Amino acid sequence: MTTSSNAQPTNSANVLVAEDLRKSYGPRRALQGLSFTLKAGRILGFLGPNGAGKTTSIRILTTMMEPEAGHFTIDGIPSDRPEEIRRRIGVLPENLGFPRQMTGLEYLTYYGQLYGRTAVEAREYGLMLLEDVGLQQRGKSLIGSYSHGMRQRIGIARALVNDPVVVFLDEPTLGLDPRGQLELLELIEQIAQERGTGVVLCSHLLTEIEKVCDDVVILNLGQIVARGSVAEVIGRVQRNIVLRNTLRLQVPPAAVLEARQILEAMPNIVKVTPMGEMEGWLEIEPMEPSNGNPPTAYQLNNKILSALIRAKIPILSFGVEGGRLQDVFLHLTEESIK
Amino acid sequence: MSDTSVQMNEKKAMSKQHAKPSGQGLPAWWLVLIRELADLWVGGKALNLMLIYSVIMGIMVYVFSSNSELSLIPPKESVYETLKNAMAISLFIGLIIGADSLSGERDRATLESLLLTPISRRQIMVGKFLAGISQWPVAFVIVMPFMNLLSQGDEILLPAFFWGAVTGTALVVAYTGLGMLVSFWSASNKTSYFISLGIYILFLVPAQLPGRAQTGATGQFLQWVNPLAAVNHFLSKHLVNYEPVSLFWTWLVPPGAFALLVIILLLFYAGPGLRLEAGNKSWAWLKKLSRIMGLATILGLVLAFCVSAFPALAGSQAQTQSIESTDLQITIDLDAVVVKTSDKVEYHTVVTNNGTEASAPLIVAMNVVNLDAQGDTVDPEDWSPKRTQYIASLAPGESISLDWVINTILDGNYMVYMVLIPTPSNSEATSQPLATSGIHLTVTPFTRLNPRGVLPYAIGGPLLLLVIIFYVYRRRNQQIDMGGSA
Repeated sequence: MTTSSNAQPTNSANVLVAEDLRKSYGPRRALQGLSFTLKAGRILGFLGPNGAGKTTSIRILTTMMEPEAGHFTIDGIPSDRPEEIRRRIGVLPENLGFPRQMTGLEYLTYYGQLYGRTAVEAREYGLMLLEDVGLQQRGKSLIGSYSHGMRQRIGIARALVNDPVVVFLDEPTLGLDPRGQLELLELIEQIAQERGTGVVLCSHLLTEIEKVCDDVVILNLGQIVARGSVAEVIGRVQRNIVLRNTLRLQVPPAAVLEARQILEAMPNIVKVTPMGEMEGWLEIEPMEPSNGNPPTAYQLNNKILSALIRAKIPILSFGVEGGRLQDVFLHLTEESIK
Repeated sequence: MSDTSVQMNEKKAMSKQHAKPSGQGLPAWWLVLIRELADLWVGGKALNLMLIYSVIMGIMVYVFSSNSELSLIPPKESVYETLKNAMAISLFIGLIIGADSLSGERDRATLESLLLTPISRRQIMVGKFLAGISQWPVAFVIVMPFMNLLSQGDEILLPAFFWGAVTGTALVVAYTGLGMLVSFWSASNKTSYFISLGIYILFLVPAQLPGRAQTGATGQFLQWVNPLAAVNHFLSKHLVNYEPVSLFWTWLVPPGAFALLVIILLLFYAGPGLRLEAGNKSWAWLKKLSRIMGLATILGLVLAFCVSAFPALAGSQAQTQSIESTDLQITIDLDAVVVKTSDKVEYHTVVTNNGTEASAPLIVAMNVVNLDAQGDTVDPEDWSPKRTQYIASLAPGESISLDWVINTILDGNYMVYMVLIPTPSNSEATSQPLATSGIHLTVTPFTRLNPRGVLPYAIGGPLLLLVIIFYVYRRRNQQIDMGGSA
């Protein structure tokens, strides 16, 4: 990927600061005081169930809509100077349409010119962007002939024609196959790391958010319900909720009976169940910690493993269900889902 | 340092050099204009519309020239009618292009990326608007050879070119801008097209009403406020009737004002207010507008019908009158003739006063009856440039000879006869009209294959456009990589 020097705010600088943004549609309050910050070179996952206010937030932050209250700055530019803000942001909206009769290079050149580049500059930069997003071989093909994944890539390239300080990507991996999703996420990571660009990534795919994002904001009913680094959010929520994680472990099929007997004999274990057709797998339901303290739960995990090791039962696989971003998301947005 | 690493460093340096836009690019409205022109003309939409336009104009002009009835219309009137039709079609094309300009981008989800750029909304509007009116110069160039042929050397040609360009530009500006305003307010392209079509019909229908509906104070006012009808009236008076511009310049005010108003709305209202969504309020407002427009069309038609019918109702009030005696005589010098369509028939009538006193003022009128159609009368206006002649008075024993010409328009059997009408002396009296013997006129069909040399242009114009379209597509295909879908 081509390294660019432009989005240069240092990694400690806030490139996006949103303070108390509010917006209503008639009686429905879509945003009720959105505040968060984004630092240069970091990727912020923007999560929330349908109707949580994600699209409204993105529309406001990209100057497509005005908030009723609150304000924000991008690269230090206040929200009352929308044209200057648009010079500093790149956006890949959800369901973006493309001119089918233009080639990828023509498309990037045109948008480069709209941002003030000369035709020659815009074309050269367009060629570099095509290379960055892996479309150098298809730059002279009509966009109408592109696959969905290629269109998402050219959309991301278009969002970078002005070498933005902040990029907003709304569901960029929607409709892509697993390989396409993986490649696009790698591209997004590269954008943040090599360009130093702050990235706001809206997605419903929580595993991908967890994989690539440094920070996360979870919205529910127009309000932020969690904010911070991914690890912080998961840890904070885990401390705040009563943990009843289910454990899963895999042993050799011949050792299942012995392992089950050992585990059922242990204190603080409610139930041990073989997992149906998955040979060798056991699901263990621990007792609720009496003091609600997560360290107690961690100690139980160690005890289970120690008991099996002492009995010389090989542990092929071990996992804790309930400690992922997806679980946190479901817990925090439970109310709106109900 | 290896060659590869040198190349990479050079590349990074270039990247740094071009990372930030230099700000030395072209004005945004110009970039949007060039892009829109490419979409319209290279993308094919405008070229295809122009092809359809040229075919319609070719057929129209050919029919105009080959049809035995229409071909007898004087050159200046032919030129005027051709220009009028060319403008009517161009206005429709302009309206359609304007109607698609913004709502079409909303439908195709391409507007958002344009609005996300730092260029001003007004510049987007300007670029799109200028691209939208680009079809008019092309349409006008296509119709110019037809006008030249139909003029047959008449001096009308240059004024027709000049005033056609002036009034056509004003109307195309107004209609295209109006289409863009509708598109600005419309949430979907379907709505935009539907309302634009309604507007087109609303302006077009009153201009097509019968002549009687367009006379009188109300009719004249309705014609004046309608920009299309006003332009047609101006062109008709100036080009066909040679009336000086100074007498009819006021008819240029509505199209000019209309165009100006639309430009102001586009630049100072729609431009700054251009947004991603048309909005619910606008939607409700548009629904109301379309209902009002539909109602206004119906009311306009009813009003025009009333204006048209009123004089006829007034004229139907019959009165009982006394008949005055007469000693007048009228003779005709032709009894039967066989001719081809478009031939001229000339004859004379002689009116004699056999009385002892000077006659009252006299009118001699031509009548043509179609013998093949159960005696249907034929409108002499189409058949002869001079349908009536007036004689102030005839002294006792005096005679006067009158010359008449008939242009045979349609084939068939006709009876032509003349009627001498003495003018009644007062409102209580009437008089006894006298009829001549008839001329049995047999008109045989005759069709010219290439009337007025129109055929090469009627066929050549669309063919030339087809060649241009083929060339543009071929050139475009050479510029792009035709690799299939990935």
